[in-house]
Amino acid sequence: MSETKSTIQTESNPDRPVSTTTGETEEEVRSEWREYAFDGEPKLSVENLDVYYGDDHALRDVSIDIPEESVTALIGPSGCGKSTFLRCLNRMNDRIKSARVDGSVEVDGEEIYQDGTNLVELRKRVGMVFQNPNPFPKSIRDNVSYGPRKHGDIDTGVLAGLLGRSNEEREAELVERSLKQAALWDEVDDRLDDNAMGLSGGQQQRLCIARCLAVDPEVILMDEPASALDPIATAKIEDLIDELAQEYTVVIVTHNMQQAARISDQTAVFLTGGNLVEYGETDQVFENPESQRVEDYITGKFG
Amino acid sequence: MSRVTESALIREETSTLEAIAGVAIGLCALLFALAMAALFEVVTVTDSVAGLPMSNVLGGLLAVVGVVVVGFGAASYRGLVPTEPRASAGAVAATAFSAIWFVVGGLVASQTLGVGLAGGLLGGGLLGGIAFAVTAIPREDVGSTLPAGALALLAGGALLTGVIGPGWSWTPFDLNATFFPPIVVPAVVMFCSLLGGWAAAKAYGGFGARGRHLGAYLLVYLNALAIVAVLVGLVAFVVFKGAPGVFEGVTVAAGAGPSTTVSAFGFSHTVVWPVSWPFLTNGAALMNDVDGVLPAIVGTVWLVVGSVLFAVPLGVGAAVFLSEYAEQGRFTQVVEIATNGLWSTPSIVFGLFGYAFLLPRFGGEKSLLSGMLTLGFMLLPLVVITSREAMLSVPDEYRDASAALGVSKWQTIRSVVLPAALPGVVTGVILGVGRIAGETAPILLTMAGGTFVPGSQTVDVIGGFQFTASPPFVANPALLEATSALPYQVYALVTAGVGGSQLNDPEAFAWGTTLVLLAVVLSFYAVGIVTRYYFRRKLHQ
Ligand SMILES: Nc1ncnc2c1ncn2[C@@H]1O[C@H](COP(=O)(O)OP(=O)(O)OP(=O)(O)O)[C@@H](O)[C@H]1O
Ligand SMILES: [Mg+2]
Repeated sequence: MSETKSTIQTESNPDRPVSTTTGETEEEVRSEWREYAFDGEPKLSVENLDVYYGDDHALRDVSIDIPEESVTALIGPSGCGKSTFLRCLNRMNDRIKSARVDGSVEVDGEEIYQDGTNLVELRKRVGMVFQNPNPFPKSIRDNVSYGPRKHGDIDTGVLAGLLGRSNEEREAELVERSLKQAALWDEVDDRLDDNAMGLSGGQQQRLCIARCLAVDPEVILMDEPASALDPIATAKIEDLIDELAQEYTVVIVTHNMQQAARISDQTAVFLTGGNLVEYGETDQVFENPESQRVEDYITGKFG
Repeated sequence: MSRVTESALIREETSTLEAIAGVAIGLCALLFALAMAALFEVVTVTDSVAGLPMSNVLGGLLAVVGVVVVGFGAASYRGLVPTEPRASAGAVAATAFSAIWFVVGGLVASQTLGVGLAGGLLGGGLLGGIAFAVTAIPREDVGSTLPAGALALLAGGALLTGVIGPGWSWTPFDLNATFFPPIVVPAVVMFCSLLGGWAAAKAYGGFGARGRHLGAYLLVYLNALAIVAVLVGLVAFVVFKGAPGVFEGVTVAAGAGPSTTVSAFGFSHTVVWPVSWPFLTNGAALMNDVDGVLPAIVGTVWLVVGSVLFAVPLGVGAAVFLSEYAEQGRFTQVVEIATNGLWSTPSIVFGLFGYAFLLPRFGGEKSLLSGMLTLGFMLLPLVVITSREAMLSVPDEYRDASAALGVSKWQTIRSVVLPAALPGVVTGVILGVGRIAGETAPILLTMAGGTFVPGSQTVDVIGGFQFTASPPFVANPALLEATSALPYQVYALVTAGVGGSQLNDPEAFAWGTTLVLLAVVLSFYAVGIVTRYYFRRKLHQ
């Protein structure tokens, strides 16, 4: 395993084009960057990523390497581009008309922003839980098994039944496991056939997590998965994330500093204007941030 | 003249005066209902009720309403009832009352007093002005009760005294029309009861915000009731007129009906229906006791089924392309305008198209198939429009969620977008079926057989399928035969006028056919609504 250096080093790349709009912050930001190095190949490697919505420059020149089997927290004030960044990692930004993405994102060393990328495969590998819960207007069971069914991993159709290839047991198992992981099973085990729209907001959010887990992705992107949850469910989700980090690469957006500090291995701080200001080991970032602005943000003086 | 400013969140007890206002509201509702009934000839204004002519009774009730309303206004003005009136009834009410009183004054002056056009205008202007002033200037309790109550009193007086009564008729100016009491009395009563009811409801609410709310509520509520009443009246009218024809010769007894033989695997079983309903099971023939419309019923049903089978897959497919795949822009706009235009194209144009384009291609004769396709073309734009609307209103979150799970676009459309859009699609099809099932012009040109279709000409689409030795291996001559349909049969009966010689009672036959048409369309509706309910339930529960 080789040592990989992450984030941009100004020294090594001094004449990289600099965004002109905020030259002043650019200087400031650059001086704050610090190397974050870890062992092993990065799972996700983002380089010089710029995102524009029309003329609106939402992410500025973000470069970051995310290690495998770890939890990475993204924090920063509202509107700084955390969701935008997350959506770049599985190319969900393609679905926004006005969005334009420049730069490179590699998953396992494979560039995803190139012609011929199979988006369906990519999103199977890089799953996502959205900021707002968005279950399908289907039964709870169908919501969870939706992905595997569509991928052909589970077939409970009439034809499969006739041919004796129905996997209803496997489906039931998968549904139970995913719902348990998402800390929802106890609340819904007796009404799996009810419509998911009848769940509370927090339950819907956990259902969306279960739905994402059922597909068994390698990377899980979570956009504030606990924002609508009570402390107990939040604790369960945090346990889940801890557990997931054994096998998966988790990238999580959160507004809750304590949560970020508790669950993440490394933390990236975005500040207004779409700048990645600091990225490093969570303890480092929280206890000893290099940038004054980051310290202000973390301690609540600025946001 | 003390302004009552105190307001109670909870009114502890209703005063006698308030109760009286409530009674006035009830009277107005009763009057409104009676007038509706009179319009539909359920009751007759020339009849007498308890020894009094109906119009006098209505007039008396109206006068009572007028007195109560005006009295309540006066009582409130003198501070005898706790109310919270505003400073004025407002410009809208004033304008409305002045317009109403302008018409009343003008009519009374020029028609009853006979002072001519100039006199009429003068009288109208005078009364209109007074009404405006009376409504706008005094406090709300007087402004909104006096003009309405006075109108009810005036109309009630005219009816009571027989100025407008059973023997009366009115030919306005030199118009070529005469109004008779059966129309005029209900119309006047309805209008005055609406106004009186509005004023009474305001009074009951103690004027002010609550009064306005109650007044508006009453108007809206009565209007909604009136619409329902019109609908019910229409259906009832058709049912009454059509029932004798439809139920002619119906017998219920063991073995009375036709027999059906079911045979399978060499065994055959004959069922004899216990109901004989000749109107529904016969065609028209010289030897029949009772002529029926079976061929037309079957024709209409197949027509609708065929055009739906043709239009729905095509239309939904087009909608999927337009809303999910096509870049929203110039092209989709053009398609949208074109489909809207097609939907509002007169049906005779579709009929001519079918006649000139389809007929020559299907053997040159009118046929069921040309009718199906013509109506299918008519239905197509509506299916496209409503399906597209329905798909565009499916939230993008569902699509995003599905895409983020690594599900392809087509699978997303099939398993998320279409199910969510289905209730909307079904609504569109329901609307469309209502239209095409009753369409006459295109059928006339593309499919219709004779005026009286013998039972032997009932199409047998299912039994008509044959296997052939050469491609396409399946043929169905039944589709290529001319047949009848219910709306066409009604049209032919009414216009041809030659049916009298063959039918005992052509009018009863025509009304019976209409009733059956209504029943067939409503059954399609019912099927559609049940389907939509099913899909909705799946989405929401
Ligand atoms: N679909 C879009 N179209 C146009 N602009 C967008 C779109 N989505 C986001 N933006 C803009 O991009 C910027 C970053 O938005 P983003 O949603 O990434 O913020 P965020 O950090 O996730 O904020 P929050 O914490 O409130 O969720 C904002 O200024 C926003 O207005
Ligand atoms: Mg966000």
